Amino acid sequence: MEIINNSLKYDVIVVGSGAGGGMATKILSDAGLKIALVEAGPYFDPANPDQMTQMKWPWESPRRGSGTTRAFGDFHMSYGDWKVEGEPYTIEKDTSFRWWRSRMLGGRTNHWGRISLRFGPKDFKSKDYDGLGENWPISYEDIKPYYDKLDKLIGVFGTKENIFNEPDGFFLPPPKPRLHELFYIKGARKSGVTVIPSRLSILTKRINNTRGVCFYCGQCDRSCSAYADFSSSSCYVIPSLKGGLVDLYTNSMVSEVKTDKNGRATGVSYINKENGREYSIKGKVVVLAASACSSARILLNSKSKAHPNGLGNSSNLIGKYLHDTTGTGRSVFIPDLINRKTYNEDGVGGMHVYSPWWLDNKKLDFPRGYHIEIDRSFAMPQYGFGYNPNELNRFFGLKVGGYGDKLRQDVKKYYGSIIGLSGRGEAIPRKDNYCEIDSNTKDKWGIPVLKFRYKWSDYEMKQVKHMHDTFEELAYNMGGIALGNKPTKEQNYGISAPGEIIHEVGTTRMGDDSYNSVVNKYERLHDVDNVYVVDGGPFVSQADKNPTWTIMALSWRTSEHIIDQLKKQNI
Amino acid sequence: MDRRETIKNILLGSIGSSVLLESCVSSLDNKVLDKIWKYQYGRTPEEKKRDNKFLNSRFFTESELQTIEKIANIVLPPNEFGDINDAGVVEMFEFIAKDWSTPAHNDYGEKVLRRGLIVFNQLCVEKFGSELLNCTEPQIKVLFDEISYEDNSLKNQKESVKLFATYRGMIVTGYFTSEVGIKDLGYKGNTPNVWDGVPDEVLEQYKGIVSYDKEWIDKCVDQSKRGDIAEWDNQGNLLT
Repeated sequence: MEIINNSLKYDVIVVGSGAGGGMATKILSDAGLKIALVEAGPYFDPANPDQMTQMKWPWESPRRGSGTTRAFGDFHMSYGDWKVEGEPYTIEKDTSFRWWRSRMLGGRTNHWGRISLRFGPKDFKSKDYDGLGENWPISYEDIKPYYDKLDKLIGVFGTKENIFNEPDGFFLPPPKPRLHELFYIKGARKSGVTVIPSRLSILTKRINNTRGVCFYCGQCDRSCSAYADFSSSSCYVIPSLKGGLVDLYTNSMVSEVKTDKNGRATGVSYINKENGREYSIKGKVVVLAASACSSARILLNSKSKAHPNGLGNSSNLIGKYLHDTTGTGRSVFIPDLINRKTYNEDGVGGMHVYSPWWLDNKKLDFPRGYHIEIDRSFAMPQYGFGYNPNELNRFFGLKVGGYGDKLRQDVKKYYGSIIGLSGRGEAIPRKDNYCEIDSNTKDKWGIPVLKFRYKWSDYEMKQVKHMHDTFEELAYNMGGIALGNKPTKEQNYGISAPGEIIHEVGTTRMGDDSYNSVVNKYERLHDVDNVYVVDGGPFVSQADKNPTWTIMALSWRTSEHIIDQLKKQNI
Repeated sequence: MDRRETIKNILLGSIGSSVLLESCVSSLDNKVLDKIWKYQYGRTPEEKKRDNKFLNSRFFTESELQTIEKIANIVLPPNEFGDINDAGVVEMFEFIAKDWSTPAHNDYGEKVLRRGLIVFNQLCVEKFGSELLNCTEPQIKVLFDEISYEDNSLKNQKESVKLFATYRGMIVTGYFTSEVGIKDLGYKGNTPNVWDGVPDEVLEQYKGIVSYDKEWIDKCVDQSKRGDIAEWDNQGNLLT
C-alpha cells in the first residue's frame, strides 16, 4: 500500500497524549520546539458539553449508567477499557492479563483516581533492602526537583507528614474527612495502621487563573469540565495547542518507528483510522508515550536490518518485566451508620484519607508494601444500586428479601453504611512476565498484536492475604463487620488479575547496563540515540504508589534532557 | 440560564475561551439524532449509534410491559415521591433487555427477563387460573410471599426464586436511579457545593463514637481562601 509522506520535519514526534506524552508535549513546545503529537483516539476536551458526562444524573442514561459499553459505567470518561473494538490481544495459556486502553486525547488521565504519590528513596533502591528485582539507575534526589515542579504546576493536595518513604511535597490543603472516613481513622489508629490525608491532584485551592477550583461533585472519573482535576488533555495538551508549535494528529494509530540505514529513527508511520490509510511523519527525535505495552508493541513491530528483532531490542528485554500493582478489596458494614441523616457528602473524586505502607517487611513473610484506599459509602446511585437490598438484615436476625414498602425502608436504612477498603501493593518484576508480538494475529488496522504471559508469584499472594487480615482487623476496630468470607488459597486470596489495577509498567526498563535494560537513565534507548520512552515502560519497579506522578516527573526530566541534546546538536 | 451555564459562571470565573471549544465532530447526522434523542450526555458516535438502534426497536410486547409494570408496582408501591412509571422503570427494562441481548451478557433479555415473565405467568396460571396480568394484587402477593424470602444465592435454588430476585434487583435499581427514587432515598449531591466537613448536627449525633480532631482539621483547607492562588515557601509551606 502506498504510504502518504508528510514533507514537514518536526523537531520531536510524541506518540500518545496521556500523562507522559502530554507532559513531554508541554515542556518541549514551551521550549520552542516544533512538535507532532500523535494520538490513537479522538479529540477530547473535558469541558466540551457534547462529550461531557460530569454532573449528569443516572436517569439521563437509558441503561442508568451500567457498564455495557464502558467497563466502569456509562458516565466513566474512558473511550475503551480492557476491550477495544477491533484491537484484540492474546494471552498465553494458563496465564492472565487484562490490558486497559483509553483511546482519546489525554488517555487514561481523563479517568484515573488522581492519586498522586511520589516514590520514596527506598522505592528506587528496593534491591538494597530485600535483594529482589533491580535498583533504578537514579535515586530520589535525581527526581525530587521534578516532583517539586510538578506539584506546583499541576496542584496536589496533601499534608506534610515527615514519613521517610512517603516524601512530602508542595501541597494544597486537603478536604476534611467524610463521616465514614472518621470511622476508618478510628479503626486504623486502634489497629496501629498509619492514616493520613490522601494526596490527590485535585484543586482544593486556586493554582492559576486558567483552571477552576474543585466544586466537590466527587466525579473526577468523569473528567472535570472546570479543569479542577488533572488530566493531560485539559492541563497539558489543550493549553499547548494554543502556542502554535504543536500539530495534533488524532485517530492516528502509530504502527512503527521508521529508521535509516544506520538504524537511527527518522519518524513514525501511522494508520489514519478515519480512512484506514498509512501515513508517515518525519522528526529528529521520537518520544514514545503510547503506554507501557503499546510502546513496547511499536518498538517490537519496528524491525529493520539494523534492528532485526525490534527497535532498541538488542537486550531482548522489550516487553519483559511487565508488572501491575497487586490489588484486593473488602466491604465493611458499619452498624453505627444505618439510618443516616442524608446530606451532600460527595467531596472530591476519591478518598479524603488513606493509609500509606506502615510495616517493616523484615518481620513479614512477603516483600514490599501496600497502601489502603477507602471508598465512598454515600455515593450517587447508579445501575446496580439496591441489588440484594436488605441482605444486611441477617446481622440483626431480620428477614432477608421480600418486597413492598418494608423493602424500600430497608434500602434507605442501609444506604451509606458500607465502606469499601482496597489494598494496592507492589509486585516483584519478573523476566518471565511479559508481552510479545503474536505474529499470528493482527488488529483491524493490520498491525500485529500483543500476546501476554503473566502469573503472580507467591510474594504477591502472601501480600494480598495480609491485606485481608488487615481489612478484618480494621473492620473490627471500626466497629464494623467485614462482609463475605476471606478468600482462600484456592481463590488466590482474592488477588486481582494482572492488569486489572491498570498500573502496568516495566516493559522497557531503565538501567545503566545495555544488556540488562532497554533505556538509559534519561529514558533513551540504549541502541538508538534519538528514541525515548516516557510512559510507564521505563519503570524498574513501581513501589505501591500509583505510577502517574512518577511517569510525569520522569517525562519532564527526559524532556529537559532532549532540549539540551538538541541545543548541543547531539541529536 | 441552564444549569450548565450556571455552574460555569459560578465556578469557572476567569477561565479562558478554550473550554468553550465546540466539538469538531458534529455533523448534520448527529444533529438530527440529537433532536430525537432524549438522553443527552457525552456519548461517542459509536455509542450513540448503538443506543439509538435500541431506542428505536421493540423487545417486549405490550402485555409483557404491562406485566412488568404490575410486578414493579407491587415490589415498590407508589408513595408521596412518585411511582414506577414516574421512575421510568419499565422503560429501563425494555432498554436493558436489548442492551444485554448479546453473547457477552448470555442473552439476558430472552433468557432472564422474558424467561422471568414466562415463569411468573406459569405459576399464576397454576395457582389462580390466569396469567399474572389478570390476577388480583392479593393473589400476586401470595405468590411473591412464597418466592421472595428464599435465599437466591443458593446454587440449587428454584428458578422462580432466582428470577424474582433478579426482577426485584432491577426494579429497586431502576427506581432508586430515577429522579423520584433519588428524592425518596434522600441523596443530596451531584450539585456544585463547598465541602467543609460533616454537618455539626450529624457530628453531634455521633458524639462519643467518632469526631474531628483539631490537629487533623487544622491542616485542612480553609474554604474562605480557596480562591487565593497558592504560593509556598521553599520548604513547601503554604503561604496563602
